[in-house]
Amino acid sequence: MSWTWFHRLGSPPYVFRLAQRLVPWFGWAAGLLIVAGLYDGLVLAPPDYQQGDGFRILYVHVPTAWLSLMVYVIMAVAAAVGLIWRMKVAHAVAASCAPVGASFTAAALATGMLWGRPMWGTYWEWDPRLTSELLLFFLYLGYMGLRSSFDDVQRADRASAVLAIVGVVNVPIIHFSVVWWNSLHQASSVLRLGGPTIATPMLVPLLIMALGFTLYFVAILLVRLSAEVLRRERASAWVKEALAS
Amino acid sequence: MTAFTHFLEMGGYARFLWPAYGVTFAIVFLNIYWARRLMAQARLEAKRRLIMREELALEETHA
Repeated sequence: MSWTWFHRLGSPPYVFRLAQRLVPWFGWAAGLLIVAGLYDGLVLAPPDYQQGDGFRILYVHVPTAWLSLMVYVIMAVAAAVGLIWRMKVAHAVAASCAPVGASFTAAALATGMLWGRPMWGTYWEWDPRLTSELLLFFLYLGYMGLRSSFDDVQRADRASAVLAIVGVVNVPIIHFSVVWWNSLHQASSVLRLGGPTIATPMLVPLLIMALGFTLYFVAILLVRLSAEVLRRERASAWVKEALAS
Repeated sequence: MTAFTHFLEMGGYARFLWPAYGVTFAIVFLNIYWARRLMAQARLEAKRRLIMREELALEETHA
């Protein structure tokens, strides 16, 4: 197997140019999918037989909650790659993930609270799912705080990578919390053994929104990564050429 | 118009549903703004450093 692609991804100028080129594609695809998903989810999908139109909060709650977990996993994997292969670009990916992941976690918590109030009668409960998601939010904040406490980028990379990797144990805890414990939160109706239990006209807009939000995240990550690479490499010769274009 | 107000009412869930969508899309647009600002700052800083380096090189050749 050829590893040239992996080595190329370790090259800051290559990554910078690639990211700059890919941003509009991901951005526009995400925008179109989210608009289509909104129309499908808010207008076309039928109301739920138990939750009426209130269930439509699902279309913003699930994509943000799913991304809050996925972004953390990407961050931890990137941090591990950076630590093991001493790859600067991987550390830059991890650093770029954190603020976006934190914002998705905040959105998942806020939309979940607004969904919980009419359905459970409370905005907040110290329930396993809610508490572990809140812990995820603090993990992101801790990661960002730890990074900003170092002046030296390489030391910030190494220290924060360890925190990111250790914190990843929280991800399966969040995902399986509704199975392991008696949670107020409803169980998963899409990612479960035996296939989805949600009706197709409700599932399709959810998948469109989830894909749209994922592509949106990639676009944001690529912009942040470009900025991070530029900041780290500003003393390098390739920067002059890259800025001219 | 009645169909539209009916839509906005969301079967009585309007006061939970629209804030949920509002928060989500506020965060979506804030992320776009933050990322673009970060990129603009990084570009500016890199350009400044390039100019500084060129000026230093010029001084050296004159000296």
